[in-house]
Amino acid sequence: MSPLRRFLRTPEAVAGAILLAVLIAMALSAPLLFPGDPQAIAGPALLSPFQDWSLPLGTDRLGRNVLAELFHGARTSLAVGLAAAAAALVVGAVVGTLAGFAGGLVDEVLMRITDAFQTVPSFLLALAFVSVVGSSLGIVAIAIALGTWTGPARVARAEVLSIRERDYVAGARVIGMHPLVIAFREVLPNALPPVLAMSSVIVAAAILTEAALSFLGLGDPNRVTWGGMIAEGRAVLRTAPFLSIVPGIALVLTVLGVYLAGEGIVETTAVRRGLS
Amino acid sequence: MSGFTISRRTMLAGSAMLLASTAMPTSGWAQTPKKGGRLVLAADSEPRNLNPAIVASNGVFFISSKIVETLAEASFDGKDGLAPRLALSWEGAADGLSVTFKLRDGVKWHDGKPFTSADVAFSALQIWKPLQNLGRTVFKDLAAVDTPDDLTAVFKFAKPTPFQLIRNALPALSSVVPKHIYEVGKIEDNPANNAPIGTGPFKFGEYKAGQYYRLTKNADYWGKDEPYLDEIIYQVLPDRTSAASALEAEEIQLAAFSAVPLADLERISKVPGLKVISKGYEGLTYQLVVEINHRRKELADVKVRQAIAHAIDKDFVVKTVFLGYAATATGPVPKNDPQFYTADVPTYAFDVAKANALLDEAGYKKGADGNRFSLKLLPAPYFNETKQFGDYLRQALAAIGIDAQLVNNDSAAHIKAVYTDHAFDLAVGPPVFRGDPAISTTILVQSGIPDGVPFSNQGGYKNDALDALIAKASETLDTAARTNLYKEFQKEVATDLPLINVAEWSFISVARDTVGNIANNPRWAVSNWADTYLAG
Repeated sequence: MSPLRRFLRTPEAVAGAILLAVLIAMALSAPLLFPGDPQAIAGPALLSPFQDWSLPLGTDRLGRNVLAELFHGARTSLAVGLAAAAAALVVGAVVGTLAGFAGGLVDEVLMRITDAFQTVPSFLLALAFVSVVGSSLGIVAIAIALGTWTGPARVARAEVLSIRERDYVAGARVIGMHPLVIAFREVLPNALPPVLAMSSVIVAAAILTEAALSFLGLGDPNRVTWGGMIAEGRAVLRTAPFLSIVPGIALVLTVLGVYLAGEGIVETTAVRRGLS
Repeated sequence: MSGFTISRRTMLAGSAMLLASTAMPTSGWAQTPKKGGRLVLAADSEPRNLNPAIVASNGVFFISSKIVETLAEASFDGKDGLAPRLALSWEGAADGLSVTFKLRDGVKWHDGKPFTSADVAFSALQIWKPLQNLGRTVFKDLAAVDTPDDLTAVFKFAKPTPFQLIRNALPALSSVVPKHIYEVGKIEDNPANNAPIGTGPFKFGEYKAGQYYRLTKNADYWGKDEPYLDEIIYQVLPDRTSAASALEAEEIQLAAFSAVPLADLERISKVPGLKVISKGYEGLTYQLVVEINHRRKELADVKVRQAIAHAIDKDFVVKTVFLGYAATATGPVPKNDPQFYTADVPTYAFDVAKANALLDEAGYKKGADGNRFSLKLLPAPYFNETKQFGDYLRQALAAIGIDAQLVNNDSAAHIKAVYTDHAFDLAVGPPVFRGDPAISTTILVQSGIPDGVPFSNQGGYKNDALDALIAKASETLDTAARTNLYKEFQKEVATDLPLINVAEWSFISVARDTVGNIANNPRWAVSNWADTYLAG
């Protein structure tokens, strides 16, 4: 059975994939469906959803189109989530591989640094970083990556520790390959699958962290973010609850989609590895 | 924990009461002042220093004005808009070099010592003039305070000082603290700053951080039969949305200073047993102002500033950001000021085409992306409304081809960025008009102010004509002539636009019907509440 068919036979994986596909479609189509600034004032303030079909989800306190904000917010969430997760995975994999492959003092130093980062709660780290450096989209992604690269680093190191004792690694040494080449060409690719398995959790966590930062007013104020929308809606929670509920639901579905799809991929590959 | 924190049981009881009250006909306003009772109200900030003689700000007054009294209080119908408190009368000399206060007899401090003119002299010379944020400018020429007897204090000024200014400054700047408490040790470190001792109708009870302040009745208060209340509890509710729920659940009876968000007012005004009151803040007008950094070459051009003024739809701001609970502004003095306001100033109607034309004229053509230039916009974080106006202003500027990038900061970082580092192009600020332009308004446009003074001209603006006008007004003794100079001042500010005044707003109180004598003076929320009572 092909991995794709196996993937498609897991219902939760399919659900996750559909959710993710919708999200990506939203993010990609946002500038086409809602050209211009999504924060532009489009109509009367605090219009309820389903009143005016040109503004299907209503408007916020300044009269901005909630649907447009939702679509553009998907871009931000996805961009930050993916960028932060990619950065965390790359840094984690490199640090873990170096530590595991080199061993000795290098291992000690790198792992103690990892410990140091792990002792600080990742959200606090992101909060502190953003409030000191400022809050553009890139900075937010870096801030989130700062607190999440340690998990991949530890997993990568553990994998590398077992892989480096394999025969083909010894073989590579014998033919005189440079240790760094061995580490990154031979060892890292084989250590990667379990690290990548963490990616769905990391992406989901990164999206949530970005939303939380925006909710606290530390996101990029020049971009629409779902967390920021929830925070703004909170002031009118009793009179216009949809302003918080709509982006809240979007956030829940996104995180759910990323997680389910990720789990599906992990299970599919696990089964394949188990069979082989 | 004490008995007035919100528990589930009281919540349930409260909602049951609410259900019951909807079924019963509401009794309305038929009330007579009644003695006793505990007033519980929402407090959204917890000032550490409660000494109003040092920190003259509304956050401090809100609590300490009940404990420490001023010489006079603002009044709707009193002469010159004042009502006597610790002073019974005030008289300015014709040469502007002295002001004589006759003080109230039989007033005692909360520790039993008598209140005398020595306390007034000490407060004025040792605290208001050297230490107080606002007193530093108003009392800068105060040289001595003579005390011929226990009930007379004569302020002597080194330079002629307009009596009108001193009079207008009395409600906010003249908190009298006891000399016998403050004369030992350093004034800033005195423990009474955190547990104030005054002459007011209420004594400081206790403060539990994050929970409440408790004030208790002063049985020896000079006012006949006053105060009515036994206790005032300031329940700390930092979350704005919780004040409305607490009111509905009858956990608190009053939420002042717009603790209930404006967007919630329409709903809450329909809740039986609650009333929404927009009076009682006339003397505390906040102004929504666009502060401009004139060091930017684009913004140094008056045409660009005029274009920005034309790009702002003030009616939209009042209607949408303030939901109608504000007024559009024409200049640096608010419309509701009875003494100084003039409507005879240049105005800037909302006109995007004209704004674009002005920018073209100034030589800033639109680029290929539709933008002329980029600006850094820092909205002050103190109010929801200032932040929302920042969002609006960004859109308004986009419409005339100015790309504004918002920068959000917390309070401390905002003050540093704008008033010390000048790291802004435009900022949204909420200065307060305090009854006289010389108290806290002229400082917003005057040149020569050292870096780091918050809520002052830190935009590098310098206009010799305006500076001369401010200097002349500060030494003009004749009330009518002085008032005219400030009318000139408004005209000059509205013409040259060192800053752009957008709107003026005050606050809203929401109270249960049982709370009586609310909003009976223009600074009610920060007055002494001696006559406030709870009916039923």
